[in-house]
Amino acid sequence: MSALTVIESSRFGPLQVEPEDVIDFPHGLIGLAGRKFTLLDRNPGSGFLWLHSLEDPALALPVVDPRQFFTPFPLVLSDEDRDRIGAPDPAAARLYVTVRAAPDPAEIVVNLRAPIVIWERRGHQILNNAPEAELEARLFSPVG
Amino acid sequence: MRHNPAMLMLTRRPGERVVVGEDVVIEVVEISGQTVRLGIAAPESLPIYREEIWLAIEEQNRAAAQATVDALPGTPANAPGRTAGEQP
Repeated sequence: MSALTVIESSRFGPLQVEPEDVIDFPHGLIGLAGRKFTLLDRNPGSGFLWLHSLEDPALALPVVDPRQFFTPFPLVLSDEDRDRIGAPDPAAARLYVTVRAAPDPAEIVVNLRAPIVIWERRGHQILNNAPEAELEARLFSPVG
Repeated sequence: MRHNPAMLMLTRRPGERVVVGEDVVIEVVEISGQTVRLGIAAPESLPIYREEIWLAIEEQNRAAAQATVDALPGTPANAPGRTAGEQP
């Protein structure tokens, strides 16, 4: 089967998603419906992507790889989450955090506590048990 | 995850268990003052969360999902889009 997934996104209009770009979240995202998503690069070069549902045309979350902003990025996983991800080394998997966008960049926060790990087209939102992993971490320092 | 007024109530002593379905066993391990220590045996595929953490993450996810197209830094208003595929 190589059928395209077609969805009419409320934000981006019609989307056609190749099968290899479909990411399955067996447990979904916490508190949100659905398990099929894809990553959209709508602002190339910025590092921000949209994790877009393929089942709900109005559901999409901005995400970013926290390793672009936090080095080193502290990631402490339970054995259960480690097994669930399926990657031999979690550092080799694609890693994102959800972004709460705001008009003022200094107000933009990301959730370091519940990162999203994608390995071989499977995604999981996991718990980061590192003590410094904040639920609302600022991406940019206020200017001035 | 919501509190259900019709929630099943059971009384258990330390060392006693509750079986949920075929695969989940919850044991009251220890009671100390206001604290109850539970042991939960469940399939590895079944995520288990402390409720307050689950709710906090749900709130962050829902808030993130409120973002509009032009709400991110460096977002051109009408940039032609493409599927990301593999990211570097």
